[in-house]
Formats: sequence, C-alpha cells, structure tokens
Amino acid sequence: MVTIAAPAPLARPKTGGLRLEHVVMGGAIASLIVLVVLPLLSLILGSVSSEDDGFSAGNFIRAMERPLYYRALINSLVLGAWTGLFSLLMGLPLAWAVSRTNTPFKGFIKLTASLSYLTPPFLTAIAFVNLFGPNAGLINNFLRSIGLDFLTFNIFSMSGLVLVTVLHTFPFVYLLAASALESVDASYEESAQILGAGKWRTALQITAPLVAPAVLSGTLLAFVNAIALFGSQAIVGIPGRIYTLPTRIYALFDYPPQYGLASALSLIFVAITVIALFLQRGYLARRSYVTLGGKGSRPQLIDLGPWRWVMFGFATAVFLVAIAAPYASLIAVSFIKSVGLWSWENLTLQHYRFVLFQYDVTQRAIGNSLLLACLAATLAVLIGAIIGWIDLRTRLTGRRLLDYASLIPLGLPGIVMAVALIQFWLATPFALYGTILILLLAYTGRYIPLGVRAANASLRQVDSSLEESAHILGASWLQTMRHITLPLIRPGLFAGWLLVFVPAIQELSASILLFSSSSITVAVAIFNLYETGYIEPVSALANINMIIIGVAILIANRFGRSPTGVPRSSD
Amino acid sequence: MARIQIENLSKQYAGGQMAAVQSLSLDIADNRFVTLLGPSGCGKTTTLRLIAGYLRPDTGTINVDGTLVSSPDGVTPPDRRGMGMVFQNYAVWPHKTVFENVAFGLQIRRLPTAQIRDKVMAMLDLVGLQGFDARLPGQLSGGQQQRVALARSLVVEPGILLLDEPLSNLDAKLRERMRGELKQIQRRTGITFVYVTHDQAEALALSDEIAVMHLGVLQQYGSPRDIYSRPANRVVADFMGQVNFVPARVVDAGKVAIDGGPAISVAVPGSLAAGSAVDLAVRPENIRLAATGANGSAIPGRVAELTFLGNMNEYIVTTARDARLRVQTHPTELLSIGDAVALEFDPRQCSVFARS
Repeated sequence: MVTIAAPAPLARPKTGGLRLEHVVMGGAIASLIVLVVLPLLSLILGSVSSEDDGFSAGNFIRAMERPLYYRALINSLVLGAWTGLFSLLMGLPLAWAVSRTNTPFKGFIKLTASLSYLTPPFLTAIAFVNLFGPNAGLINNFLRSIGLDFLTFNIFSMSGLVLVTVLHTFPFVYLLAASALESVDASYEESAQILGAGKWRTALQITAPLVAPAVLSGTLLAFVNAIALFGSQAIVGIPGRIYTLPTRIYALFDYPPQYGLASALSLIFVAITVIALFLQRGYLARRSYVTLGGKGSRPQLIDLGPWRWVMFGFATAVFLVAIAAPYASLIAVSFIKSVGLWSWENLTLQHYRFVLFQYDVTQRAIGNSLLLACLAATLAVLIGAIIGWIDLRTRLTGRRLLDYASLIPLGLPGIVMAVALIQFWLATPFALYGTILILLLAYTGRYIPLGVRAANASLRQVDSSLEESAHILGASWLQTMRHITLPLIRPGLFAGWLLVFVPAIQELSASILLFSSSSITVAVAIFNLYETGYIEPVSALANINMIIIGVAILIANRFGRSPTGVPRSSD
Repeated sequence: MARIQIENLSKQYAGGQMAAVQSLSLDIADNRFVTLLGPSGCGKTTTLRLIAGYLRPDTGTINVDGTLVSSPDGVTPPDRRGMGMVFQNYAVWPHKTVFENVAFGLQIRRLPTAQIRDKVMAMLDLVGLQGFDARLPGQLSGGQQQRVALARSLVVEPGILLLDEPLSNLDAKLRERMRGELKQIQRRTGITFVYVTHDQAEALALSDEIAVMHLGVLQQYGSPRDIYSRPANRVVADFMGQVNFVPARVVDAGKVAIDGGPAISVAVPGSLAAGSAVDLAVRPENIRLAATGANGSAIPGRVAELTFLGNMNEYIVTTARDARLRVQTHPTELLSIGDAVALEFDPRQCSVFARS
C-alpha cells in the first residue's frame, strides 16, 4: 500500500520567459536561413545584376542567345531524358523480378542496386574511360587486337555519358518501383482474379496502374539526379566536347569568373530541376492509395518458369556492367606497377602507400573528407531533427514555410549550391571562400533535406503522447528530448546520418568550385589526379573511398539498433 | 487532493470556426471522481488537455486550489503542474523497462535511488505487476501496459490524475475489472480523478459527478443518478442510454396529455406554457406492459417486434398514433408479436422537453 502524503514538490516554479527549446528552435531556423535561404536569394540577385549597370535581364538573354550556353542546356535535357528512359528500362524489370516473381538470387539483385547507388558516379566514369577510352581503353585495345574493330565503343560520346550515368541512376526507379509493388495489397489483385482475370491481365489492368505513379516518380528522380552529376559529365563529356549545364557553369569560373552569367545559368538549371521535382511530388502524392490496403497479405509470386533464368541473366548483366567491370578495372589498376603488363611481378602496393603516406595532398584530402562528412552528417541530422520536430510537434506559425524551405536544396544541383554560396559569402565581410568552413556549409545545406526526411519519418512513429506523458511527470523539454524522444528516434537518425555521410564523403559537384589546396577533398583529389593522368593513384584512392563508405555503413548499423528490444518491421 | 475551478473556458482550433470548447464553467471538488462524458468531438479531450496545460485557452481561467494555472495570457506548462495523466494509447515508453517507466517521474524529482526503488516496487504491487519490473513494454499485454501507465502516474503522488479514455483499448472483461480497480485506487488515494470517456455505462459506474458535453458546450453537471433520471435536455436524455420520446401537449404546470392517450401527472418546466407541444421522455425499463383495459391511464398498443437479450426482453410496441416505443421487461414476462398490450409509465421517471 502506498501512502499518499503531500505531493512531492516539483522544483522550479518559473513559467514563461525564454525557455531552452525556443533557443534551440531559433538556432535551427537561423541556420536554415543562413545555409539555404540567403545564398539562394543572393544567387537570384546576382543573376539579374550586371557588373556595370543595375538590374537587368542581360545575363539571361546572353545565356539563351549564345549557342555555347543554350547547347549546354539542350545537352543536359537530352542526357536527362535518355538517362530517365534507360533507368526505367533497367530499374522496373529488376524491381518487378524481385518483388513479384520467383527469380532466383534476389539478394544478389538487391545488392547490385544498392552498390550501383553507393558507387560514386565519377568513379564509374573513370573506370569506363579505362575500359572504353577511344585510344587506350583496355577493352577497345583487346577488341582491336583480335580484329573486332567494329565492336569498339567510344566512351567520349553522348551514349557513353548516358551509359555511365544510368548505372548510377537506375536504382531510383528500382527502389520506388519495388516498394510500390510490395505495398500493393494482395486483395486488390485477388479480387480481380476471383472475377476471372488471369495473372497477366491482372498485372496489366490492376497492378500496373497502381504502381505507375511511383515508377514515373522514380524516373523523374533519375532525370534530376542525372543532369546534376558534375563528375561524369566532366570526365566523359568534356573530352567528347559535350558540354552540359554543370560543366559550362564550371567553365565560367575560369579566370576571369563571370558570376552574373553563372548565376543566370544556375537559375535556369534550378528551374528545370524544380519543375521535374514538382511533377515527381505530384506523382508520388497520387501513390498514396497503394498503401491504403495497409496490413494486407503479401502478393503471390508469379512463376516465370524457365524465364526466371532470363531475368536472372539480365540482373547478372547489370551487375557485370555496373559493378564488376568498373571495380575490377579500378582494383586491378590500383595494384599494378604500370598498365598493360599483366604478371605477378608487376603487382604492387606502392599506389596505396603513395596516396596514404607519401603524397600530402591525398592525405589531407582523406582527412578533410572524413571530417567534413562526419560534421555535415551530424549537423544536417540535428538541424533536420529540430525542424522536423517543429513541424510535427508545435503550432508555430509559419512552420509549413519552414518545412518547404528545408526542401529547397533538393532543387539545387551541387554546382548551383556552390555558385550560390560563393555569391553570398563574397558579399559578406567574412573571408570564407577557400576555407574548409564553406565546404561544411555547402554539404550541410545540400543534405538538410535528407536530415529532415529521416527525422520526420522517425518522429511520425513516436506518438506525441509519449512526450506529453513525460512533460506531465515534470520533465522539462530537454529532459524529455534526452530520455524519451531522442532514444526513440535514434535508429532513424543514424540511418539519416548514413544517408548524408555517404554522398558527403564523395561530394564533387559543389566541392569542385569551393575547394582550395588546404581544403581539398577526396573526390576533388581523385578528379584532379585523373585530369593530370595519374590513373593508378586514382584507382587506389577510389578503393579507399569505398572502404570508408563500407566501414561507415557497418558502424551506423551497429549504433542504430532499435532501443525497444522489439525487432523493427523491415522498412 | 485538489480542487479545480474552471471558469468561462473557451478554445478554438487554429483556422476552425468551430469552437472545441465554449464558455465552460466547472467546479471540480477535491477528492472527487469526475467524468467528462460525450460523443467524439464534444470537446472533452480538449478540456482535459486544457487542464493539463498542453493547450492555452482563448478565454477563461483554470484555478487549481486557488492558484491560477491557465488563462489566455499564459499557462503553467504541464511539467510544472504536478498532475498525472493516463493516455488512451497508454504512452508507455517502449525503450524503457517497466521499472524505468515508473521510476521516471521520481528521478525527475531527484529522489534518492533507494527511495525510488521502494516506491516503484510498492506501486507495482498496488497495480498487480509484481515481478514485471525488468520487462520491456513490448513484452506486456494491453492491460498490463495500462497498469504501467497508471503506476507511472500514481507513483509521483499527484493531486490530480487526468485519464483520457484509459480503458477503451481493452477487451470487455478486462475493462470491467480495471474499472473496479480504478474506483478503488481513487477512494484509497484521495486523488482528484478527471476522467474522459464516451462510454455512458463507464461514466455511471465510476463517477461521483458527470459532466455531459456536446459540441463543446456543457449540457449538465451532476451525480450519475441525476443525469440518468433527470436529464437537463434531450441531448443528455438521448446520450445517457435509450429513451422514448412520446409526443404530448402541456395541460398545466403539473400535467401533460399524451397525444391520443391519457393525461399523466409530471413536473413540467416553467418555460412551457399550457398547450405547447412537448415530448415526454421515458426510458424503456420504466414502461410496464399490462393486459389491455387494465387501467384508464394506460396507452393501448400492439407488440411489433420482440428481441430476447438474455437478461431482458426488448419489445417494440406501436401505438394507435403509429408511435414506436421501446420497452424492456424481465425475461420471464413473455408476450408474442401481435399481442394487444397497455403501456403504463411511472410519471416520476419521466421528463418533459419542448418539441424540437
């Protein structure tokens, strides 16, 4: 029996005033403004002002008049369109095979898609130049040596650019299509079958319309990501004289830099991206009815008979082209003394020794990239968590606006983010340009949407009554955050951290305009070494980069375990 | 432990023209079990959240033991109110063990570890969870989680315990048992319970006082008996169980005449003039069925439907005026469909409302 005496007193009878949560929330809002909103505004301002006379549309007119620039725009659109189409042709069959058929070795297909997504696109490009360079490509040389000249392929072409880009972007279609196909309630299909529709008819008339929005949305994401990839467009496009928006903007920063024109081109680039993302969100919103069925039973798998081996063969082909060929060529090149000689005596670790212990630039680059990726991931997730919390848990006026502001970076290709940051910080008294800090700002700003999304998804799983019951027991905001909210959303935050870390450690599009010799990163070092023709250390560095990513995934998985002791539903 | 005085309290939700709570005044005495009762959307949960301090009122005040805790100018935040709250979904923290859940409030109050241990263990005994202290909530049944939530709120010895439909997620048997336990705990501890539910049977069984709410407005505040047998208006009469509305006309201050039937003596509200059309509200269990012609004050009717419900028979009887009345009788009082019957009301159990 518990005797109830006078209620245990709660300390701190103070009310109102400035509470800690207001400071924290204000900090997150302020950082979003400094990281994203102000740079974007100064980009817009920069695009309509010219060096000598005030405001004008001159930059836009020049950008649209000169073939130099409008051809870049057309090339970007062509690249995006082909990439979107081929991403669809690769991603959709694989997704269907994994989620709806009895194709064997599904784990292998999933792994292929994940690895393709994780591989830095500029590494794929470099590897394919190794293999299909018009003069020195290993496969081209081999084909010529056995007299099959007509089979040689020139990578420095639009088709080559599409090829190396698709290998990175098809997972967008794959992932969205697979999750849609898996979440269609089996009862939708079963009710069609009970009415007499065969399996194929059901697939075409019931399933296909249900998942079409998700598939289209994945295709548009592939488009948006494809046109933003600076690395592959520089490595494969420039030698083939195929200039695109990112490479043209990059060229505008050659001395003397043309900020106004670069800003105008950047804004045109943003417009294309935003339109595509707008369409994509529209499609994704229509997807909602897919999950309406909720906890329905899993759909029946279609028996493909012998065709399942054809499907598996297709997956294997994708694996060979997207993973095996580039990695084999990178690994092989990283361990040999000089390209072209294949013997045991020709094996060496000297390239690893060189990039890790001898060459100060790559050493500094590895250190910088690790530091930047860790800090940017932590900051993006923290800011994202607070913004997500404001959006879901408070009634703050303008919180919707805040949510939209946090999505802005999705519409900013990396190189545009860099142009915006340069414009903004050059106009302030702070000499950030060329420091590692401006890279940190760029990365954090670019990846805030990922942090917000991760935090939002986890916070939605935590009912607000869990926080409220801590409040009523006397816990302050900080105590509630520390003991209740953060432990509960920790797995989601770690997943979000990893989601930022992986692209941050291989970030090239923004870094290429922002780095200096002291703030060089791994991706920039790889790019520069490649440009100067040091292909062996490039390969070694590329493999080190992949090892770092692998270790990060292991660590995040270890610390990101669910705290409830109950296995989380596989999501 | 504490008295809650609510005065002229209103709350509108952002953008909504509809008021969630409208000029609510309620005096909840110390040591009482008070239920806020009403259908979903009636404002009962909003009222509870206003009392807890999660919401700031648009107008009005809330005083606890004479201290102002909520007004449009500001609210004492929930963490400074020293209340307890039990949520509909239990809100037991899934990442903490049963012990850690219950100990949390005491740790916030910086009690010595040994004392925390004693208090938590005693509280787990009280709610019947001995030996479950090391379990995680994921390993407990719904009823057990509900007990954890209750223990967690009680262990900090709050003056006021707020309960938001705490039993609605439990199955019928368990609900009945927890009902009894809640009542016992309230009596033993003397904590003021403010209980929200849409289940009128639960409210009748548990409460010292019931506040019936509808569309954000308080309809009636009184003892369960009062509310059930003297409903203040049609809404309350209708919500507190089944009721027949029999068309009638006022004769004078103490009598109404049933349309096509006899006049009966019943208290008529002063606002209703002689001759105005009214409804006589009578509950199915307060109608007796007799053989025809037994009594001049009875209404003749005919059995139209019969349903056997186990502990009673339920009849639908049609009168000459085509009114359909629901009547409940002891299961042994058996009639057949088509039988002619006479309906007799106990006038003391009838209420009169203006015809709407």
